[in-house]
Amino acid sequence: MKIYVKDGDFVIPGQLIGENINCNLEYCIVEGNKVYSTVEGLVRVNRKNVKIIPSFGGYIPKKDDIVIGVVIEVLPSGWVMDINSPYLCIMEGEEATEEVFKSNLKDFFDVGDIISAKVSEVNEVNSCKVVNPKKLIGGIVVDVNPKRIPRILGKKRSMLLLLREKTQCRIIVGQNGRVWIKGENTPIAIEAIKKIEREAQTKGLTDRIERMLDEKLGMVKKKNEK
Amino acid sequence: MKIEAYLKREYIRNLVKAGERIDDRDFLEYRSLKIERGYTKVKSPGSAFVELGNTKVLVGISLDVGQPYPDEPNKGVMTTSAELRPLADPYFEAGPPDEHAIELARVVDRGIRESNAIDLEKLFIEEDKVWIVFIDIHVLNNDGNLIDASGIAAISALLDARMPKYEDGQIIRGEWSGKLPVKEVPIPCTTAKICDKLLVDPCLDEEYSMDAQITITTTDRINAIQKSGVGAFKPEEIDQCVDIAFENAKKIRKIVKSAED
Amino acid sequence: MKNKDEVQLIVDGRRLDGRRPDELRKITMKVGVLTRAAGSAYIEWGNNKILVGVQGPRALHPKYLRDPTKAVLRCIYNMAPFSVDERKKPGPDRRSMEISKVITEALSYVVLLEKFPNTGIDVFIEVLQADAGTRCAAITAASLALADAGIPMRDLVAACAAGKVQGQIVLDIMKEEDNYGEADLPVAIAPRKKEIVLMQMDGNLTREEFKKAYELAIKGALQIYEMQKKALLESMKVEIEE
Repeated sequence: MKIYVKDGDFVIPGQLIGENINCNLEYCIVEGNKVYSTVEGLVRVNRKNVKIIPSFGGYIPKKDDIVIGVVIEVLPSGWVMDINSPYLCIMEGEEATEEVFKSNLKDFFDVGDIISAKVSEVNEVNSCKVVNPKKLIGGIVVDVNPKRIPRILGKKRSMLLLLREKTQCRIIVGQNGRVWIKGENTPIAIEAIKKIEREAQTKGLTDRIERMLDEKLGMVKKKNEK
Repeated sequence: MKIEAYLKREYIRNLVKAGERIDDRDFLEYRSLKIERGYTKVKSPGSAFVELGNTKVLVGISLDVGQPYPDEPNKGVMTTSAELRPLADPYFEAGPPDEHAIELARVVDRGIRESNAIDLEKLFIEEDKVWIVFIDIHVLNNDGNLIDASGIAAISALLDARMPKYEDGQIIRGEWSGKLPVKEVPIPCTTAKICDKLLVDPCLDEEYSMDAQITITTTDRINAIQKSGVGAFKPEEIDQCVDIAFENAKKIRKIVKSAED
Repeated sequence: MKNKDEVQLIVDGRRLDGRRPDELRKITMKVGVLTRAAGSAYIEWGNNKILVGVQGPRALHPKYLRDPTKAVLRCIYNMAPFSVDERKKPGPDRRSMEISKVITEALSYVVLLEKFPNTGIDVFIEVLQADAGTRCAAITAASLALADAGIPMRDLVAACAAGKVQGQIVLDIMKEEDNYGEADLPVAIAPRKKEIVLMQMDGNLTREEFKKAYELAIKGALQIYEMQKKALLESMKVEIEE
């Protein structure tokens, strides 16, 4: 077994990562015993395991993901959602009511409504179903590179909790690259999230974000006191 | 409505009601403006690349010899076309110009034509032969207010343009004789109306959230006006927009004139 | 117009622009330059200025074009009207359509299309200023734009052209050499295994000349590949704001 990269290296498509190693097959291909990266991104090496964290990419639905979607069509038996993905996403009428065909589904969710929901199943052409919808009223949804979402959540959601605590905003993070924010300090929350998105693959980010939030929120406090 | 509109419209409108913009600008403040003349000078007589915030537009000027319009036999001809390239926005489709591209071209054209910016009489060569000026607008990245960005790029490209050498009935490509005669610098200024407030230079998110917009192109006079979008303006608001247009055009004109190659 | 016989393309081992026969023109590449495209890249190659933007993977319309086993890749090569000496009417012409086809086929070899069934991936190539060798520059930049979009590929694609000028095989021919030379051979490779994914030739070459030319083109493409790697790694560097 040979590993040709170090932890924290950047890799590009077609780059040889190693021979006879364990690597997340989503982002690499194996030819014989050689393993190559298929994307540009950061590589994490942990003893025998190599993981590629891509820098960019769209969202492909995965079971149990929380996503933020927009209702784009109301059907007699359910809704069609846009989840920032090239694939079809459906929510069944039963998610809102047992009496699907007797009700007017528009009364529950109408075109343009923003919803957070969970992906319950994905088929072989990546079409998916979502369940447990929650309507998100007010606030703003910002688009974020879906590959940076793990960093916005942080280890054990530490980054998200930091954001929520400092800004006192309601924040819901969708794995599909959408973040819903509501609260007085929304502009600061947006700035912090954009900074995390930009600097996701650097070290010491959590501290920098905490410092930035303290600074910006301190300024707001001063402004309000005047 | 576009998806982005659903995600942000409510929030942006509430911000505006509270006197703020999503990118922290003042209501009458333009985004940063960068102009690079001569961007494609190796091939085209004139060109200018404009970045207005993140909106990027490249305009090229081409010159050819052809026939004048029958009703104006002693004047050169100008024609403007625009392409919203699909790499500029996921909603732009490949194919012939749609109504947005056509409106964009015609509004930019109007400002330049009606102000007589190009001295078309100086483009007369001989009987039945005049210079034809092609203004080609190539939109490369859409972050809102394509009209102002394109109009600024167009007049900058015209100011940049050189006349090809013309000898013995032939255009000698790659050799130049003098500059394209430009006498005026018309500048378009677009103001958006959101919840009864007027904001200048709407970014893309604001375009998704607005009720309507009005573009007013000025020199020392008003040369073109285009109201677009489904909402309505009150007469007093139009008066305000005219003042805003003259004000901002003055500032932008300085930047355009000083953007030497 | 100069007579073909009057133009001296190589004098004392130097070409019209001062280059040696195996020298590339000046090339710069930048990745991630557009905000409304999934991925983008900009290349200046000699006087060529080419911008590429990728949209997708996205839902493909009309539906009958969809492939349930993989994504459909479409590359559209377009020249701005002002990109050439004599204005080109907007819209696809026959040359643009041919170039679009060969570039699409070349990139389809490296992109892992099976990862995105039923979708379309659109690569838009905008030639802003053209000066010979646009298709090589275009496909080089397109490959970077696809990487920038996070679309998985088994390899990048690097391209370069060789030609025959005044009897000599030269690398990366420029406009005058294209007009007055004897052959033009653009080649694109998947650099890892030097697999040829694009090759076209027009002109007059013996078998030995052809071999020399394509070996030279591949050598050039491998130099291009090194620049692509640098450009991608550069684009991943982040300026930390304290």
